[in-house]
Amino acid sequence: MNKKFILAILLLTFPRLVAADSQWILEESTLTYHVSHPLKQTEGVSHAAKGKGVCHAGQCDFLIAVPVKSFDSGDSNRDLHMLQVVRGGQFPLITVRTHLPEDASSLATIQADLEVQFAGQTMQYKLIAFQHVTKGSDTLITGTIPLTLSDFKIDPPTLLALPVKNDVPVRVEMKWRPM
Amino acid sequence: MSPKAVKGGVALSFLIVLFSISIPISAQDSNSSLSGAITGAAGAAVPNAKVAVKNLATGQSTETQTDSAGRYNVPNLMPGDYELAVSAEGYSTNTVKVTVAPGAGKTADVTLAGVLSLQDLGISSGQAQGTAADQARLDKRSHMLKLHQRFGLIAAVPMIASVATSFGAGGRSTSTADRWTHLALGSATGDLYFMSAYFAIRAPRIPGTQSRGPIRVHKALAWIHGPGMILTPILGAIAFDQKSKGEKVHGIASAHGAVAIVTAAAYAASIVSVSFKF
Repeated sequence: MNKKFILAILLLTFPRLVAADSQWILEESTLTYHVSHPLKQTEGVSHAAKGKGVCHAGQCDFLIAVPVKSFDSGDSNRDLHMLQVVRGGQFPLITVRTHLPEDASSLATIQADLEVQFAGQTMQYKLIAFQHVTKGSDTLITGTIPLTLSDFKIDPPTLLALPVKNDVPVRVEMKWRPM
Repeated sequence: MSPKAVKGGVALSFLIVLFSISIPISAQDSNSSLSGAITGAAGAAVPNAKVAVKNLATGQSTETQTDSAGRYNVPNLMPGDYELAVSAEGYSTNTVKVTVAPGAGKTADVTLAGVLSLQDLGISSGQAQGTAADQARLDKRSHMLKLHQRFGLIAAVPMIASVATSFGAGGRSTSTADRWTHLALGSATGDLYFMSAYFAIRAPRIPGTQSRGPIRVHKALAWIHGPGMILTPILGAIAFDQKSKGEKVHGIASAHGAVAIVTAAAYAASIVSVSFKF
């Protein structure tokens, strides 16, 4: 009885003695895609990503989702055409999943394997480098995902009969906060 | 030897023969195996995952765990249909059905999804999934706007030629051939223009979207070149009639040239507004 009482007091006083789950929430994000065409360069920006991370036993799972139609290139006609080309009517979300060791939060550069679902296709991207900076309780993550149209079986759109380039890198800037 | 002893010996011999036959048969039946790798969604190996293999015919279940490399092996299985259930902390359970052939090793790799779902992000299943009808609407819109673009660009060719031939059509000393050439080019311009306009006007609208950016300029200019493309041929017909009678172009018909130039300029600006970034 005394031993159980003492153990309970210890657990209440020092919660880190037991393995604790932790969770992360995506507070702010800026995702920017870049499309190259011989006549012009175009960027589309979204601030509408939602994300969550769950850490358990030293391993963390992250899920980020962003609506395709939230990307704004400054021209609604172009954005609607983009939505049609990437089959956004049928697959309205881009999702990114990754699995990281919890101690990755101590590294300045995080190498992550990403599973990206987009336009009805799933693609794995290995060892994508993200820069990691901690500011107070917030964690800032920045990096670029080297997305290509052919990865997701997207026909490159054309302007005046000239197609855009296959490479469509997506720059990611995220601010994560522990819950 | 007594009859009892003989009977006992026969029975024992029968059992020995029966046992020696049965051993190789059961050994043949259970030398199948099931093995594979358990990975997470991003391809990382999942160690210490619990792997339960259940024979669907007999209900017998065997459990094992993956090693540090995420691999498992279940030997000595009877051939048949099995249900493979894989679970691990931090992952959602995945169940697959496999068929194990006699005397063969079957490989079944299983990927476990992370515990997070879109519902955890506050995204409903309705938001996560679109419809074929929505995509079809987008496809139709894009197809019609492509036709609008093509006819619009093609219309620019006779429009430029029509402007170029206008100097020979309306001056003091002009020939009938010049006027007819100008008329034909103007007609071709009008036909192509209105075909282009049809596809733009009839392209499906997408609910919940508002015009932003250069497309607003493109649409606004249509209020200049649209009425212009109606007025220009009307004034042109009056001017053509006057010239055919040997008269000098006069009255309202004298505005034909100015209206045509303004129309052509607005049309050119309309093309430029969506072709280049300013």
